[in-house]
Amino acid sequence: MAYFLQQLVNGVTLGMIYGLIAIGYTMVYGIIGMINFAHGEIYMIGAFIAVISLTVLGLAGVTYVPLALLIVLIVAMGFTAVYGWALERVAYRPLRTAPRLAPLISAIGMSVFLQNYVAIAQGARNKPVPPVIPGGFNVYEHAGFAVQVSYVQILLWVLTLALMAAFAYVITRTAFGRSQRCVQQDRVMAGLVGIDVDRTIARTFVIGAMLAAVAGVMVTLYYGVVDFFMGFLAGIKAFTAAVLGGIGSVPGAILGGLILGLVESLWSAYFSIEYKDVAAFSILILVLIFRPTGLLGRPEVEKV
Amino acid sequence: MTAALLDVERLSMRFGGVTAIDDLSFAAHACAITAIIGPNGAGKTTVFNCLTGFYRASSGRLTLNRTSERLRLERMPDVRIARAGVVRTFQNIRLFPAMSVLENLIVAQHNELMRASLYTFGGLVGLKSYRSAERRAAEIARHWLERVGLVGRADDPAGSLPYGDQRRLEIARAMCARPILLCLDEPVAGLNPRDSAELARLLREICDRERVGILLIEHDMRVVMDISDHVVVLDYGRKIAEGAPDAVRNDPAVIKAYLGEVDDAEKA
Amino acid sequence: MAAIHAPARTPWGARFKDAALAAVVAGALAIPLIGLHAVDDAKGLRIGTRFDWVAIGIAFVFVGRLLMGGIRQFHLVNPFQPLAHGAARLRPVARLLPWVGIGFAIALPLLPFANRYVIDVATTVLIYVMLGWGLNIVVGLAGLLDLGYVAFYAVGAYSYALLAVNFDLSFWECLPLAGVFAGFMGVLLGFPVLRLRGDYLAIVTLGFGEIVRIILINWQTLTGGPNGITGIPRPTFFGAPLTATPDEGVTAFHQLFGLEYAAVQRVMFLYFLILVLALVTNLFTLRIRRLPIGRAWEALREDEIACRALGISPRNTKLTAFGIGAMFGGFAGAFFATRQGFISPESFTFIESATIVAIVVLGGMGSQMGVVLAAAVLVLLPEFGREFAQYRMLVFGAAMVLLVIWRPQGLLAHREPTIRLPRSDAPI
Repeated sequence: MAYFLQQLVNGVTLGMIYGLIAIGYTMVYGIIGMINFAHGEIYMIGAFIAVISLTVLGLAGVTYVPLALLIVLIVAMGFTAVYGWALERVAYRPLRTAPRLAPLISAIGMSVFLQNYVAIAQGARNKPVPPVIPGGFNVYEHAGFAVQVSYVQILLWVLTLALMAAFAYVITRTAFGRSQRCVQQDRVMAGLVGIDVDRTIARTFVIGAMLAAVAGVMVTLYYGVVDFFMGFLAGIKAFTAAVLGGIGSVPGAILGGLILGLVESLWSAYFSIEYKDVAAFSILILVLIFRPTGLLGRPEVEKV
Repeated sequence: MTAALLDVERLSMRFGGVTAIDDLSFAAHACAITAIIGPNGAGKTTVFNCLTGFYRASSGRLTLNRTSERLRLERMPDVRIARAGVVRTFQNIRLFPAMSVLENLIVAQHNELMRASLYTFGGLVGLKSYRSAERRAAEIARHWLERVGLVGRADDPAGSLPYGDQRRLEIARAMCARPILLCLDEPVAGLNPRDSAELARLLREICDRERVGILLIEHDMRVVMDISDHVVVLDYGRKIAEGAPDAVRNDPAVIKAYLGEVDDAEKA
Repeated sequence: MAAIHAPARTPWGARFKDAALAAVVAGALAIPLIGLHAVDDAKGLRIGTRFDWVAIGIAFVFVGRLLMGGIRQFHLVNPFQPLAHGAARLRPVARLLPWVGIGFAIALPLLPFANRYVIDVATTVLIYVMLGWGLNIVVGLAGLLDLGYVAFYAVGAYSYALLAVNFDLSFWECLPLAGVFAGFMGVLLGFPVLRLRGDYLAIVTLGFGEIVRIILINWQTLTGGPNGITGIPRPTFFGAPLTATPDEGVTAFHQLFGLEYAAVQRVMFLYFLILVLALVTNLFTLRIRRLPIGRAWEALREDEIACRALGISPRNTKLTAFGIGAMFGGFAGAFFATRQGFISPESFTFIESATIVAIVVLGGMGSQMGVVLAAAVLVLLPEFGREFAQYRMLVFGAAMVLLVIWRPQGLLAHREPTIRLPRSDAPI
C-alpha cells in the first residue's frame, strides 16, 4: 500500500512536468494547427539554462536557496522565451501559408538542429547537478516502507497549480487571452477585426516556452541530471498528454499529463520498466483511435 | 407514372437536442429534376448527407429503386451508396486540384477500371483488356469534356481553372461516375447569371438525354423555376410545401418562410 | 488565387533597426548556451566562457540581416498554375534528365575518380533514394504522413537477418519474404490509423516506429537486443560468392569470370544490386501511377471526402498504400542488412524516418527525380563536412529548415499528368 502511494506521489509529480510541457503543445496546436515538434527541445534548453544559472549562482556565492531559485526561474524563463520566440519567427512564420507538411519538416529540422546545437555547445555527456533542495518528509509509513514526499515535489506541485491558475485568469479575463481565443477560432477574421495576429501567435509561443522552462528547471532540481536528448522523449510524451486531455484545452493538458504520469509510474513499478515508453505510446494510439478529441476537447466536425 | 427512383419516408435527423430534419417524406423520379429549396438552415444539406451516407439518419426509410433491386440507403455507408449510383457534389467545390482535368474524370471511373485491371495485378503486367478499358474511359471523359466545353484544358491542373469552369467540371466528373441519381448541392452558387443559365441548361439536358434523376439544392430561384419538374420546400427541417414550381412559388406558406409575415415587413 | 508580395525596397534606417533587433535576439540566444558552458570535470561543475563566439555570432547576424533586408521577398504563387512558357520550354530537357541520371549511375563505378569510398557513398545515396521512392507512395502519392517508416525498414532487415542466420536461406530467397513481412506490417499498422488525419497520423506513426525500436532492443531472445545480429551473409552472384577463398566445390565470382580477386568487386556488386532494386521501385511507381489504384492514391491525397462521394473506398486505398510502401521499405532493409553484415536497433531510430520524410517532402511530393536530388543533397552535405563530424547533424537539421523555407513545395514540384487524351485522329 505504501509502495503504491509512493508511485502515486511520483506519478503526480511526473504528470505535472508533462502537463507544463503539454500546455505549450496544446496552445500552439490550437492557434496555428501544427505540432511544434521542437517544443521538447525548448524544454531541454530551459533545463540547460537552469543548470548553468545554478552553477553561476553557486560560484557567485549565492547560497540562499529561495533567492537562487527565483533567479534561476526568471533567468531560465526569460532566455527560453527568447528561444521560443526566435523558433517561431525563423522556422514557422515564413511557412504559414505553405503546404501542410512544410512546417512539420521545418519543425523536425529545428528539433535536430537544437539538439545538436546544445550537444556541441555544452558537450554531449550528461550534466549532473548537485541537489539544491535536499530532503523531504514522510507522509505515511507501513511495514517499514515510508512514503516520501520531497520538498522539490511540493514546490513543483505548488508552482504548477499557481501557474495554471494564473494562466486561466489570463486566458479568460485579459485582452490577450481574448485575442488568443479569437485567433484560435478564426485567424483570418481575427486579423480583419484588428487583432495583431503575428504578435498573438508569437506570444503564444513565448508563453509555452516559459512554461516549458519551468518544467526544465523543476526537472533539473528533481532528477539532478540533464542531457541534450531529454527533449525528444519528453516532447512526445507531453504531446501524448496534450492529446489525451484534448488538444486545444489547457486544463486538458494538465489532466492528460497527470494521467500519463500516473500510468507511467505505475507501469514501471508493477510491470516492466523497459517497456514503459511503449505504454505511453500505446495510450496515445488508443486515445487517437477511440477518442480523438481527448477527454476535455471539443469535437472537430468537418463540414461536408 | 413511373415508379419513384428515390423514396424518402419519414426521414428524421437529430443532433443532440436539435432536430435538423423532422419527419420528411418525398419522392424523386428518374428523368426528372427535383429541387429542394428553403431558407438557410432549413436542413437541405443535411438531407443530402443522410441520403448519401455521410450522416446516419436518426429514423426513416430511404429507398433507392434500381432496375434490378431496391436498396435501403439509410443503412449503407457512403462509399457503397456512391457505387450504387447515387453521386453527389458539395457546396464547396471538391475537385482534385493538383490532378489534371482529364485525370479527375478518369478517377471518377475508378471502380470499373479497378475491375478491368484485375485489382491492379492485370494492369501491372499490361493486360490488353485493361488498356482498352482505359481507352474507353478516356473516350467517356472526352465526351463529357466536350459537353461542358473543357476539352481544351484537359491537361491543365484542375485547381488552375476559373471558378465557373470548376463548377462545370464537377458536374462532368459526377457524370463519369455513372450515376442514376445525381445530387447537386447548390451547383450554381457563385456563378453569374449567364453561367448559371448555361449550367441549368446542361442539367436539363443531362436529365433528358442521360435519363438520370437529379436532386437539386438551390437558392437561385430562376434556375429552380426554369428547370425543375418538382419542388420540395423545407423550413426548420419540415416540409412546408411540395409540387410543381409554379404552385410552390405562389404558396403563401413558402412566401412567409422566405420573406416573413406581410405585417412584420410593414412594421419594420 | 495568386498573390505576389513585392515590397518596395526598405529604407536603410528601417533595415538598421531591424538588423539591430536581430542582433539583440541573437545575443540573447547565444549568451546562455554559447557564451557560458557548463564544464563537468573532476573538480565539479565550473563555468567556461566563450564570449568571443558570442560576439562573432552577433556580428554575423547583424550583417546578414542588414544585407537580407532588401533581397528577401515572399512570393505566394498559386501552385496549380500550369508552368509558365519559359519553364515549359525546359520540359524536353527535364524528360531527358532521368536517362542521363541512370546512365551516370550505371557508369559511376567505372569512372576514373570512383574509388571504394565514392562507390560506398553512392550506395548509401541509392539506399535513401529507394527508401524515398518507397515512402513517396505513402506520403507523396497518397498524402499519408508516415513518420514511422523506419519500422518497415527494420522489419525487412531483421527478417532477412533472422531467416539467413537461422534457416540458412540465401539473400535472393529472403528478399521477397522480407518484403512480404514488411508489407504485412504496413497493412497491420495501417488499420488503427485509418481515421486519423495530418499531424495526428504523423505522431501515431512516429509512435509505431518507436515501439518497434523498443521491442527490437528489449526482445533479446529474438533480436539479440542492443547487440543486434551479426554474421549476416552477403548476397551471391547467382550462387557465386564474392569472396577471395570460396568453400569447397563452390565457384567464386572472380573465378567465374577469370579475374583476379579484388575487394572492390563486392563493393561494386552491392552498388549495382541497390541500383537495380531502386530502379525496380521506380519502374513500379511509374507504372502504378497510371493504374486506377495510383490515381486513387492521389485523389485521396487531394480530397478524401470527394473520394467517398465517387465510390472510392478510403480504407482500401490507404491500406494498399501503407502495404506497398512498407514492402519497398522491407526490400531496402534486407539490402541494408546484407550490405553491413550486421544490424542493431541503433540504425533504426526516428532520425532515419525523419530523414526519409524530409527527402520526400524536399524533393517535391510525388516527384521521382526530386527524391533523387533531395537524397543526394541530404546524404552528401554532411559528407562534405566529414572533418567536422560532430557538426554533421547540426548542418543536416539546418539544411532541412533552410531548404523547406526556400522551397516549401519541394525542389521539383511540377507534376505531369499520367494520362492525356489520344488525339482524335490517332488509331484506337
